Amino acid sequence: MAENDFNWPVSAQHCIKEGIMTMPSEINPSQPAPLAPQPVAATRILLIEDDSKIAQEVVEELESRGFHVQHEESGAAGLSMGLNAHFDVMVVDRMLPELDGLTLIETLRERKVHVPVLVLSALSAVDDRVSGLKAGGDDYLTKPFAMEELAARLEALLRRPDNSRQTMLRAGPLEMDLIERTVTRAGVPIDLLPREFRLLEYLMRRPNQVLTRNMLLEDVWNYRFIPQTNLVDVHIGKLRRKIDESGKPALIQSIRGAGFMLRVP
Amino acid sequence: MFRNELFRTATFRLTLAVVAAMIGSAALQFFFGYSQASVFEARRSDMLLLREASILQRETPQELEQQVRDRATDDLRILLNVTTLFDSQQHYIVGDLHNWPADLVADGHVHVITPEATGGGSSTVLRMVAVKVPGERYLVLGRSRHMRTELRLMMRHSMLVSIVPTVLFALMTGIVLSHRALSRVKDMHEAIDRIMEGDLHERLPAGKQNDDLQRLAGSVNRMLDRLEQLLDEIRDVGNDIAHDLRTPLARVRARLDRALNADHSAEALRNVISHTIDDLDQSFAIITALLRIGEIENGRRRAGFGTVDLESLVADIIDLYEPIAETKGIALSHVTGDDPPIHVLGDRDLLIEVLANLVDNAIKFTPEGGRVEIRTRMNDGCAMLQIADTGIGIPAGERRAVTGRFYRSDKSRHIPGSGLGLSLVSAILALHHARLDILQSRVHDSLPGATMNIVFPPSGVVQPGN
Repeated sequence: MAENDFNWPVSAQHCIKEGIMTMPSEINPSQPAPLAPQPVAATRILLIEDDSKIAQEVVEELESRGFHVQHEESGAAGLSMGLNAHFDVMVVDRMLPELDGLTLIETLRERKVHVPVLVLSALSAVDDRVSGLKAGGDDYLTKPFAMEELAARLEALLRRPDNSRQTMLRAGPLEMDLIERTVTRAGVPIDLLPREFRLLEYLMRRPNQVLTRNMLLEDVWNYRFIPQTNLVDVHIGKLRRKIDESGKPALIQSIRGAGFMLRVP
Repeated sequence: MFRNELFRTATFRLTLAVVAAMIGSAALQFFFGYSQASVFEARRSDMLLLREASILQRETPQELEQQVRDRATDDLRILLNVTTLFDSQQHYIVGDLHNWPADLVADGHVHVITPEATGGGSSTVLRMVAVKVPGERYLVLGRSRHMRTELRLMMRHSMLVSIVPTVLFALMTGIVLSHRALSRVKDMHEAIDRIMEGDLHERLPAGKQNDDLQRLAGSVNRMLDRLEQLLDEIRDVGNDIAHDLRTPLARVRARLDRALNADHSAEALRNVISHTIDDLDQSFAIITALLRIGEIENGRRRAGFGTVDLESLVADIIDLYEPIAETKGIALSHVTGDDPPIHVLGDRDLLIEVLANLVDNAIKFTPEGGRVEIRTRMNDGCAMLQIADTGIGIPAGERRAVTGRFYRSDKSRHIPGSGLGLSLVSAILALHHARLDILQSRVHDSLPGATMNIVFPPSGVVQPGN
């Protein structure tokens, strides 16, 4: 449902191609496709998807980003591959021949395979999403989706946020005290509204990681729809004005066609 | 074919059932009538036999002998079929029965004697009585059951005479009635055939009788009215979708066409591509919004329903939209009465979407310096949620139409959007059985403002403690 976009943000530069939106690389030659730091060469992704066109697009896109992708077309083959080889993350379509995606994930979880799973689906009703997550999926993406969305979510699954019990978060010059609920930039206190604090905390837990507007809406505000206006941009804009120092590069950078990133050295 | 259909009509089958019932009841009538009559006849025979016996007992032996001889030949044989005199050793003296029946006991009571017991003296079952008469003799009197047989014949005959014409009459009536029903059904079939061929204005023939068939035809006609209306709506929506998709696509085509023949600098081309993508995104947004509405309208999913606190819902939406309102210089606030917190039954994610759409619209259509208020209160058991703005308002004549798909007031043509936001809101509210009224916020100002009034019925309000 998150991908049911009423007013696709103006900056999201996509074109529709067989249910998948890809960013033609020639539009934006100045900015290479892999936005986050290159994944380690050993990162292995298992894609279980029966639609060969979508699968091909996804494989090409992810391999161009430096991932190693193993593709299986049926649920049964995907399950045996998932059980017998090690993968860092899996992308599983809900509707699969022989064995449906949710059963596959449940079986994996029963066999103690705890690799993060992103569920792909053509169904976008809220309860379908819930059932996908209940079965053991870690994230849910509805078709058609933007490649940037898929890449950002896989990145997020690969780099689980630092949810340890620490009470201080640090990102570049920013310091966040989770107990006192205060933020400082290079020692200078910054006055934030609760919603701005929440947004910044989310960003600081995921530094140098592309976060799409949908991810922010879902995780920070817990909303599963796309508003008609560029709400997220307005919130980010407000936050930027508070945390950025004039003359220095912006901490929160807009990633054309994808979303935002808290860039720290 | 037609005759075959006639016999399969409901009316004709009913007729057959009635005929069967008539035959059955006549048979029962015959059975009970006959058995009553035969009991009566048996009693009368016994009385007759005993009375005759007591009269003949008083005669002298010579007279009795004479009487018996006469009776064997005279007309009274119709009443008493056997009159015979036996001696004390039960040997035949005079009369029409030559052997003493085996089962007969001379005790003055009536006995039923089978033909075999008489040793061939009688061909039918007889009721007999044997009495002692003067001269140590026995007088045997007997009466056959021929009366009963006659009675049965007579009754059977009269029954057949009466039942055959009755049944024939009922069948004829049934055929005539079935024929009439069939011709009405045939008319309806023809009307339905015309409707199936695509003539959606055709209706089933309306007759004068107010019977079952007519009421059914009335219901079908009302259903057809509704279907025709829905079909018209779908056709309109189809046209609107085509139109709204065509506009951005036409722009894309024109722009690409121009780019082909004009400046080929990278910057110019990038600009063209970027605008093209915006237009395609708009088409895409329309399609996804339509799919989403279809999903909500067809899904009727209430699985995500739970108790939703309106106050926290409003607080969340204000949290989400405050920055954007602030940017536009609009005051966004929550106005609540003295009511205790209001809870409604609903899907929180969908209700947030409703509020987001309405607040989004309110901010979009309110000029700088204006106000957008979200109000919650209870009214007569109903929960009310209002989004009031000080914007351009919606003219009274357009208020019904705005919730239809793709409707956009002429005044709002320049403001971007899929034109489907309010349809989505309507679909979600329909799922919640809630109503949406569109009102005017103010009377005297230059801008009337719009107030979206959402009313949750009492059944959708969760009472505290429940």
